[in-house]
Amino acid sequence: MQQHSIMLFFMLLVGIGTIFFVSIFMSSLKADNDSTGVKNLLKKRFWFTLILIVVLGIFAAATLPKSPYFTYANETPSTVIHVGTMQFSFFLSTKPIDPKSPSGETIEIPHDQLVEFRVTSFDVNHGFAVYDPSMRLITQVQAMPGYVNNLRYKFTEPGEYHIFCLEFCGTGHPVMQTTFKVI
Amino acid sequence: MNIDSLKLKKISALWIIVILVLFIASIVLGILMRLNQGKVIEQSPLTFYTNMTTHGLTMIGIWFAAGMVAVNYLLQRYVKTSYGVNLFAFILTVIGVVMLWVTTYAGKFSTGWTFLYPLPFRDLGSESWSTPLFLISLTILGVGWLVWSVSLMAQIFKKYTLAQAFAWQHFKSNPTVETPPFILITTVTLVGVIASLIAAVIVIVLYFAEYFSHGDFVNDALLMKNLIYFFGHTIANEMLYLGLAVIYEIFGEVSDRPKWKMTWYISLAWNCAMVFILTAFFHHLYMDFVQPQALQIVGQLVSYLASIPSAAVTVFSIVAAVYGVKVRWSIVNLLFFLGVAGWVIGGLGAVIDATISNNIMLHNTLWVPAHFHTYNAMGNVLFSIGFFYWFSTQYVDKLVLSKLTKYTLTLLIVGGIGFLMAFYVAGANSIPRRYSTYPVELTSGPYLAKVGALFATIYLIAILIFFYNIAKRCFVILSASSR
Repeated sequence: MQQHSIMLFFMLLVGIGTIFFVSIFMSSLKADNDSTGVKNLLKKRFWFTLILIVVLGIFAAATLPKSPYFTYANETPSTVIHVGTMQFSFFLSTKPIDPKSPSGETIEIPHDQLVEFRVTSFDVNHGFAVYDPSMRLITQVQAMPGYVNNLRYKFTEPGEYHIFCLEFCGTGHPVMQTTFKVI
Repeated sequence: MNIDSLKLKKISALWIIVILVLFIASIVLGILMRLNQGKVIEQSPLTFYTNMTTHGLTMIGIWFAAGMVAVNYLLQRYVKTSYGVNLFAFILTVIGVVMLWVTTYAGKFSTGWTFLYPLPFRDLGSESWSTPLFLISLTILGVGWLVWSVSLMAQIFKKYTLAQAFAWQHFKSNPTVETPPFILITTVTLVGVIASLIAAVIVIVLYFAEYFSHGDFVNDALLMKNLIYFFGHTIANEMLYLGLAVIYEIFGEVSDRPKWKMTWYISLAWNCAMVFILTAFFHHLYMDFVQPQALQIVGQLVSYLASIPSAAVTVFSIVAAVYGVKVRWSIVNLLFFLGVAGWVIGGLGAVIDATISNNIMLHNTLWVPAHFHTYNAMGNVLFSIGFFYWFSTQYVDKLVLSKLTKYTLTLLIVGGIGFLMAFYVAGANSIPRRYSTYPVELTSGPYLAKVGALFATIYLIAILIFFYNIAKRCFVILSASSR
């Protein structure tokens, strides 16, 4: 549940931030005319900046290798699914899709095996967002006209997965969805 | 100094009234959208998306204009600015906004404010004339704002050399000329504004080229997306910087504290911010895997780097100006201080989303409007409303922190936190953004939308009270004679 961890982390930061700003404000209310405020400002600013740079550096080093471009990059997918999108439908097929008369098929993907979705659009930009059976967004990629985006994923849980469009594509945007099964 | 020029006061007062009226109208549109998502009211998808498009375009336009109005007004302390150009920008903005509303409501243009290529050419349900009219209205706004920005920049360069305007002499010890922080931040911000508006011009030209080619010329979707987000991301961030320029200029004087002086680190921070903000837009394209990977990595690194000068210099300076010292608190500096807190918290949400491995879970969910509404509705808007209060009260009466003001601020904070939390929780629950109604499977969507609408209404009440207080004083300024 990466999203819940993110939310928890964010709320922790918000809590710290709120306490910080409230205490700064309260300190000014308590201060009198003789109060001098922060001393050795430049030194404190230096340490604050250094800590910030180190923390951000650690976060960047920890998260960049987990970017989707590098995940499963050196493995060969056992299944390839072609995905065509157009207002307001998804077409999923194990064979390449003809943009002039697009059609899809019922898709079943074996679990614990690497699958590659080759995603494109035949009209405007769309999103290809995969939701697990508990309706949690687990991975996504954009569908862009003139380009094919390759998304690799290994499903671990069998069940029915939903696909929603996550790039605004017109009035039918919220009804653009389909499903596939992981077996 | 020409700061008391009645003409400048009047045009600024007029801008403020128009901006606040459009702000209130746009908040109402936002609440209607959340009520529709919450199934409290029922709108057609076309109505929802015309409201969404109008809401986004108007909000971006008015808060950019608000920043420019404030900067133009305060710039008079240092250089002479052109009243004619200010008026020209006002007239073109009014014409542009009226045309945009005609495009969305009469023409049913509903592509969202990002008008991502090629959606304007395949916008189902809209009138065929709405796309060219939309592009013309953007052109009118772009011309007005570009002329305004270039004019302000030209006035700065009449007084300051290039190096002085960017405060480069402060990298050496004992500089002979001191650049006021306000001049540096305004210069740096105008560079970004002009760059983003030039990108908008290129986008409009490319759209028109395809429109008039009747199929002979087709644009590249990836290039157009890069250009559109270079424009959109940059202008949305630069308008925040315009607000910060105002804080640097007047926070000290309204707080009875010394004014910030230029130092080498303020100069370094804002010069770095200028560069970072022009390349951070790549984070909007993380989910386009065909984008060169180097640009994706740059997107994350620069998004992180952009937070360093902001936190280490601007936020640190404001905190240091307040911590443990007696400050004369008024509605103006309270709004500034609260706005800085909102900016920081929204920034944290933004940095989380700008991390590629998080973005794959959050991209185009309600986490996105959550963080940008945090640093706009509880950040930039408060910077501008703080300026509006300062502007309107300095000529009419004194700033007092009445009980009503405290209650209004409480409403603002409670309403703001509530409507933003509904967005954040929905984003963490994988609820997509820009859905007129939610599929039955996404069960928490409608409930959170209702919560969002309720708290946004509380926020609106606070804004209406602010509007009443500011507008009545602006009308006094408008009716003042030149004696």
